[in-house]
Amino acid sequence: MGEKTKILLVDDDVDFIDLNKAVLENQGFEVAAAFSGREAMEKVRFERPDLIVLDLMMEKHDTGFTFAKAVKADPLYKDIPILMLTAVSAETGYDFSQELDGYWMKTDDYASKPLLPDELVKRVHSLLERAKKETG
Amino acid sequence: MSETVNILVVDDERGIREGCRRILTAEGYSVDVAVNGKEGWDMVQAKKPYDLLLVDLMMPVMGGLELMDEVSRFDPEAIMIVITGFATIETAVEAMKHGAYDYVPKPFTPDHLLAVVNRGLEKRRLRIQAQRLMEERDQKLLEVAKEESKLRAIVDSMADGILVINNERQIVLWNPAAIRMLNLHEKLEAGKNIDELIPQKDLIRLIDKVFTPDASQYTVLSEEIELSGPESRTLMVNLSVVRDNDGQGLGVVSVLRDITDLTEINQVKTQFVTMVTHELRAPVAAIEGYLTAYLQGLAGTDPQVSRQMLERAKQRAHALLELVNDLLEFSRLEAKKLVRKKELLDLSGIITSTVELLRAQGDSKGIQFQVDLPASLPLVEADRGEMEQLFTNLVSNAIKYNVKRGKVMVSAKRSNHALNIRVADTGIGIAGEHLPHIFEEFYRVSGPETRYTTGTGLGLSIVKKIVESHFGRVEVESIVDKGTTFTVKLPIKEQRR
Repeated sequence: MGEKTKILLVDDDVDFIDLNKAVLENQGFEVAAAFSGREAMEKVRFERPDLIVLDLMMEKHDTGFTFAKAVKADPLYKDIPILMLTAVSAETGYDFSQELDGYWMKTDDYASKPLLPDELVKRVHSLLERAKKETG
Repeated sequence: MSETVNILVVDDERGIREGCRRILTAEGYSVDVAVNGKEGWDMVQAKKPYDLLLVDLMMPVMGGLELMDEVSRFDPEAIMIVITGFATIETAVEAMKHGAYDYVPKPFTPDHLLAVVNRGLEKRRLRIQAQRLMEERDQKLLEVAKEESKLRAIVDSMADGILVINNERQIVLWNPAAIRMLNLHEKLEAGKNIDELIPQKDLIRLIDKVFTPDASQYTVLSEEIELSGPESRTLMVNLSVVRDNDGQGLGVVSVLRDITDLTEINQVKTQFVTMVTHELRAPVAAIEGYLTAYLQGLAGTDPQVSRQMLERAKQRAHALLELVNDLLEFSRLEAKKLVRKKELLDLSGIITSTVELLRAQGDSKGIQFQVDLPASLPLVEADRGEMEQLFTNLVSNAIKYNVKRGKVMVSAKRSNHALNIRVADTGIGIAGEHLPHIFEEFYRVSGPETRYTTGTGLGLSIVKKIVESHFGRVEVESIVDKGTTFTVKLPIKEQRR
């Protein structure tokens, strides 16, 4: 496979995007970025990413959730693994669990924010690994 | 009845008068005598009250019956004993009708006289005692009634609601505040069961909890209950058992306090703390991310990329510092005991120097400044530091949200009793949907144009607080892609000449 693995970063924090774009590109990935839910959906259609890194809590608190569910509901995109980042557990005490949220998170992973770039790189690699195994 | 017993003997027969005096004085009584009814009546009126009168019926100048009529009107408790030589049933009955207590037929022996007199005096003692008791009781009743109405008035005037329930779960006492808070029927009847009266099941549950046997462990049971209705309210309910002197439970007293406002203030505070936490964490996380990437070479080793990352980390650190400063300013403005040093100020100097201070910041973006102020402005009464802060926030926003090579225009003029200061820019503008919210804490308009603009989200809320604490107003007009104009209106302090 000559083509580079493509990652879509979705977050409204420009520093998070710029930093992780630089880090992931240095790892040999191709990186696209979106700052809002709508922009993210467009990028999914046109860029066809292999993996999405998504901040669940953007300016409106449900933007990330709505986008993630839309991706998972679409037969074309439902197999794209999503690494979900959230500050929810720290701020509201809500913890994501595979049991409760697994039905729409399937092969995906989640981590709480803030997430340092080295940790992000690890998570991206292992999620890609897992997705490859599961889809055969 | 005084210590000494006073007796008056009224008889026209000297022998009887003196005989009685001797016998009664020997008994230790104080005895006066009168020769006829008239003299006797004068003495009764003039002197101390007589405990007992011995009265002859047949006397010249006012007879015994007439005298007795007068005396019994004058002192109903006086004991009158008739001395008569004609002891018939008829005279006795007649004498009784005129208020006589007893009679002594003439002639009489000393023992007989004393027996009748002492019986009469005993009667007098009892009469006086009974009267005193009655007076005391009347007085007590009056006091009790007064005390009760005083207590009633106090309970009725209380801002807290009071409900007293007896052991049969019937309502026995309440006040208007309780009726209002619980929305009970205006004409409440004592003795009604609480299940019929109180619509709030939560409150009934609490009352019953105090009635349970193991409730003796509580001195007071406190709980918040939510009232549903057109507007939901929160009540703090304090319940305790009403006990008699023997510690026997008689019922439950509930004190209700409306704490809705307090609860709301608490919620706003909690929300604010959550927002602050979020706003503080974002820059710290970004800085740590940049430093981690730099130290571990995660983004490669290109020195230009590394330098860029460090620059950005520095910018975020600076923004963080600004946020902390704004938070300090914000909490200073929130504090009630804020000391404002208000003085009469000509704002032209403050506005000009603020623009000068920010000129460098504008130059990097090629911003042109146009300051249009008259030589002197009408005076306003204001805190100098807060005015500097106010115009710094407005002018730096006008620079930040401007386009490259845009313009910032500052002008001021009088309008009736107000000084209007306009700060206008030719920047990106604010969409109508955001305008009502821009003075809220941490409200930031996010979009591609503001992505790289650092801001604390507190600048305009500080502006609003300062203006309002100076009895002024701040208004905003904006057209997207054309610019935004803020107008601060401050009351002019007229000077007496």
